[in-house]
Amino acid sequence: MNGRLALLFHIASKHLLVRRRQTLVAVSGVAVGVGFFLAVSALMVGSQADFVKTLIDAAPHIIVYDELRSPPPQPGVRSFPGGAVALRGYKVRNEVRGIRDWPAIVRTIDAIPGAIGSPSLSGAVTLRMGGRDEPLGVIGIDPTIETRVSTIADKLRKGHLSDLEQVQGGVIIGEEMAMRLGLGMGDVVGATSAGGATRSLRIVGLVKKGQIQLGQTSGYMLLREAQSLLNRPYIINRIGIHLADPYSAEEVAHRLETRYSYKAESWHERSADFLGLLVTRNAIMYTVVSAILLVASFGIYTAVSNSVADKRRDIAILRSMGFSQGDLQLVFVMEGLALAFTGILVGWMLGFLLMNILGSLDFPIGGENQKFPIDRSFRQYLIAAASSLLAGVVASWLPARKSARVDPVDILRGAA
Amino acid sequence: MSAILTAEQLSRVLPVDPPVTLVDNADLTIETGCFTAIVGPSGCGKSSLLYLLGLIDRPTGGRLLLEGEELTSLSGDERARIRLEHFGFVFQFHFLLPEFNALENVMLPIRRLGRLDKAGAEARARQLLGNMGLGDKAEKSPDKLSGGERQRVAIARALANDPQIILGDEPTGNLDSANSARVVDLFRQLAHEQGRAVVCVTHDLAIADVADVRVTMLDGRITDVRHQT
Ligand SMILES: Nc1ncnc2c1ncn2[C@@H]1O[C@H](COP(=O)(O)OP(=O)(O)OP(=O)(O)O)[C@@H](O)[C@H]1O
Ligand SMILES: [Mg+2]
Repeated sequence: MNGRLALLFHIASKHLLVRRRQTLVAVSGVAVGVGFFLAVSALMVGSQADFVKTLIDAAPHIIVYDELRSPPPQPGVRSFPGGAVALRGYKVRNEVRGIRDWPAIVRTIDAIPGAIGSPSLSGAVTLRMGGRDEPLGVIGIDPTIETRVSTIADKLRKGHLSDLEQVQGGVIIGEEMAMRLGLGMGDVVGATSAGGATRSLRIVGLVKKGQIQLGQTSGYMLLREAQSLLNRPYIINRIGIHLADPYSAEEVAHRLETRYSYKAESWHERSADFLGLLVTRNAIMYTVVSAILLVASFGIYTAVSNSVADKRRDIAILRSMGFSQGDLQLVFVMEGLALAFTGILVGWMLGFLLMNILGSLDFPIGGENQKFPIDRSFRQYLIAAASSLLAGVVASWLPARKSARVDPVDILRGAA
Repeated sequence: MSAILTAEQLSRVLPVDPPVTLVDNADLTIETGCFTAIVGPSGCGKSSLLYLLGLIDRPTGGRLLLEGEELTSLSGDERARIRLEHFGFVFQFHFLLPEFNALENVMLPIRRLGRLDKAGAEARARQLLGNMGLGDKAEKSPDKLSGGERQRVAIARALANDPQIILGDEPTGNLDSANSARVVDLFRQLAHEQGRAVVCVTHDLAIADVADVRVTMLDGRITDVRHQT
């Protein structure tokens, strides 16, 4: 059986070597297709990974809010589940805003391997400075935990997150707001909460401008101090979660939400619009790539088709000798596969070269020299190989079938 | 001498409009150790009959038996297998594959049969070429050989799997008289000394005269079967 395949491949390779130019054209077709697929997909996948990383890292992977997507069932309904009782007009119990039982939630989160939950309290205060008012959304955090959950520590122009713990009444605000209020590092500013409490805060850090996710009207304080300023002791209303695997965010968020019923928003949900954009981008890429591979398979089709047409005499001779129709079909399929394989190997080298060229290019954005994000994972090579091989099988099998229709009698009689 | 291949009322009609009868109810017995010649005017259906006997074409009527076994209903693959094992063909044109040298051409059927490994196949092919007086031409490609040499390579290839039946369609048609005589001697030797069945379509009455059996055809029918001594 192996001897048979080796023999058939021997015949196929002879056919290809005799028709050098056609072989070269077909191989280059596949090689160019595979090479450019690799270059394009390395860029697309690379930039996508880059983009998604920015999206993921901009904020905690999951944020649990003190909101409910649907109101909780009232005690009366809970007592008679599925009962033929409809309760109307009952007095809805007013609940204090904030996440109840949050230490239990944080413990659940911390029990997930590699996950950290950072509780925080946000609320509105007004900063007052020499007759000027600026609304500020304060976020009370625990600096040691928060640095592990979000990237705000990297976004500071001046100061450190840990300074919040050193300085009584320390606050970190956006540099633009600081400018508007005429404040600098170490300056003291008065803050009034909605409840009327007033306190002096000292600027211990400034957030760089241009950070979309943080906003210029937010400020960071120590959780404990925010709770007392907002007059909501022991209360938190947000839990930021950092996961070891950001791609499990959707599932973890769903689990938390079913268990605790507080709204848990994953980065997937937060960035649904961006992710939708990526789907479109991928659809475009794979359409272009399929077109390239289709063109490449035309080369194989033509080569095998011509080979069958040229070798009608050889087909008749081999058949008279005792080769079967299946043998000859296999010879021509092998020709197509050999073309595809060679094309893939050359295409891999071409793609590797193109990636290196693209990866070495510099281009300036915002004054900084940047490089193209290139994804060099082997997966792309495998996808390119698998799809060209599939295209090659179809493109060679279609004309190879025609070899079975060659009637040796017609050829032998015609030549004799 | 024993019957190896038997045709009973064998017919081949081309399904064109109007239908063309190539072979018309042919009855024929081919015997081992016997050199059979088929003669007749051009277009009488000699080649057509030979293709039917050699399982290259399928009959539209009648039966064909190899050692008493019915062949008419076999699948394409089974017929290919029988051609490979039991039949050797020699045509008017040498029909060597141009991409392969003489040795590789002879090795093709041996390797396809797969009873010998590659080295064994090569040894056998060399021996066959040696028997044909072509021991020193084994590595030559067909276009570097003379017409007579090519035809002898083709005969070596026909004998590659040691077939019981050798079929020739005007195998000497393109050869000069010396080469022609050599091929005829070889065919008679294959029949008489090695006990094979040799069937040869020919225009050459000198060949027909030396055959053991002379089959005459006219308009697709076998009109005469004469045993000669
Ligand atoms: N496809 C076809 N359509 C119509 N007629 C055909 C076809 N093929 C063969 N024939 C006819 O069938 C007859 C038998 O052909 P065949 O080749 O068997 O003759 P032959 O005896 O071998 O002739 P020759 O001695 O010239 O080789 C011929 O008259 C030929 O014209
Ligand atoms: Mg003929």
